[in-house]
Amino acid sequence: MKKIFALLMTFALILMTGCGGGDNKSVDTNKVKLGMITRLNVSEENFEKFVEQVEQTFNVTIASHKPVFFDNLNSMLAALQAGQVAEISTYTSVARYMIAKDPHYFVLKDHSLEFIDSFCFALREDDTELKDSLNMVIKEMQDDGTLGKLAKEYITDIKTDGEPPAVELPHFDSAQTIKVAVTGDLPPLDYVSADGKPAGFNTAVLAEIGKRMLKNIELVNIDSGARAAALTSKQADVVFWAIVPVSEIIPADSDKPAGIALTNPYYKDKIVHVGFKADEKK
Amino acid sequence: MELIYSIFIKDGGWLTILKGLQVTLEISVLSLLFGTLLGSLLCFLRVSKFTPLKIFAQVYIAIIRGSPVLMLLMLLFYGVLARAGMPPVAVAVITFSLHTAAHVAELLRASLMALDKGQVEAARTLGFSKWQAFKLVTFPQICRIAKPVYQSTVVNLIQWTSVVGYVTITDLTRVINNIASRTMQPMITITGGLLIYLAISWLVHVIFNWSERKSQLRQADS
Repeated sequence: MKKIFALLMTFALILMTGCGGGDNKSVDTNKVKLGMITRLNVSEENFEKFVEQVEQTFNVTIASHKPVFFDNLNSMLAALQAGQVAEISTYTSVARYMIAKDPHYFVLKDHSLEFIDSFCFALREDDTELKDSLNMVIKEMQDDGTLGKLAKEYITDIKTDGEPPAVELPHFDSAQTIKVAVTGDLPPLDYVSADGKPAGFNTAVLAEIGKRMLKNIELVNIDSGARAAALTSKQADVVFWAIVPVSEIIPADSDKPAGIALTNPYYKDKIVHVGFKADEKK
Repeated sequence: MELIYSIFIKDGGWLTILKGLQVTLEISVLSLLFGTLLGSLLCFLRVSKFTPLKIFAQVYIAIIRGSPVLMLLMLLFYGVLARAGMPPVAVAVITFSLHTAAHVAELLRASLMALDKGQVEAARTLGFSKWQAFKLVTFPQICRIAKPVYQSTVVNLIQWTSVVGYVTITDLTRVINNIASRTMQPMITITGGLLIYLAISWLVHVIFNWSERKSQLRQADS
């Protein structure tokens, strides 16, 4: 027993002294920790490599950030407030919502490169019929200005002290139901209202898609980290997906898991970094 | 105060929290019930003299107790039972029952081992049947010995259920996360959620204390 205890203590001591840390450690500590919501397929390490490649190609300094993934917005915000991450990566519309809710958040303005993210739906590769229908409806909605109108109503025009209007999902008797997994981690695009119902721009887009396709939409709330599993195991038919395509370095499908197809984008938004300024102690 | 009102009460927010709490309790209570029944059966198999059954129970307990419950939940929901068309809550109850059963089996076995075998032998010598000896001598003592650890298992189970957000269930933790994302106030919201979980744990403690005191009074009366 004493020998086992001694062995464990030695092992713990080796771990605590950081044996095997190598040179990377000193490099990593100089980087700014950047909180991000877990992607569908890209790991923190892969994402960091992408960022480094972008830096080399475009001669910018974004690789000074080290991505840290979070499975939900709550833990990411808590990490930001606690100083576990220095910044978080989000969208202009989300940053606007955050600042309206709490003025302690602020947008960092020192970015040397602008990234525009494309929002689309991810679904199983064998659901070609659903993919074609979604693409057709997205095009219709773009052409007749519905998407622009919804973006104005649910993103641009929302009051600073309020939330986007509630969304009523259509119901068609004996029609097929499309099960959509939502995270609620992207207000005002995707959030869960006080009464527990999924809401926001994405939900409004889905409601309109359901109306045009004459199909029922069932929304299920899920953690970001489980989206890919939900899709591939057929527990959900559609999940929201977004990636910033940067030439050939970050191709449009770089975050796409095998067996997953993507629809055409229905919305674009600029990526911004948000920081948190705590009240100064008197 | 206004901030707390806007986070937890405004626009029926408290009702959403109650719904989440209901889901958490529903999964916990059902899992505890099935887990205890299955755990008792597993304990019986674990102490049986029939080697294959004993090995089966040993292997089951070793695998389940050594597996993170979230992995088990995701494996069942997104893998083994994905095509079964079962509601997510049912899969969660199955997962947590399987997990609780392994822990209950071991705590019952530990209680059984702590028992003075001489008492059962004495009861048998006095003419008690095997069933009577179990019912009147072994069982009450197992319950008494196992109670404090069982209480911890109950509290642990309630806390384990906080991962069900990964399988499309909106439980108390998921509701808390949703509120934090909507209000952008993670610290206050997490603290609120923590206090609710703490209140449930305290309630479990009160129930066990009350039952302990009641059995002590019954013993004193007799």
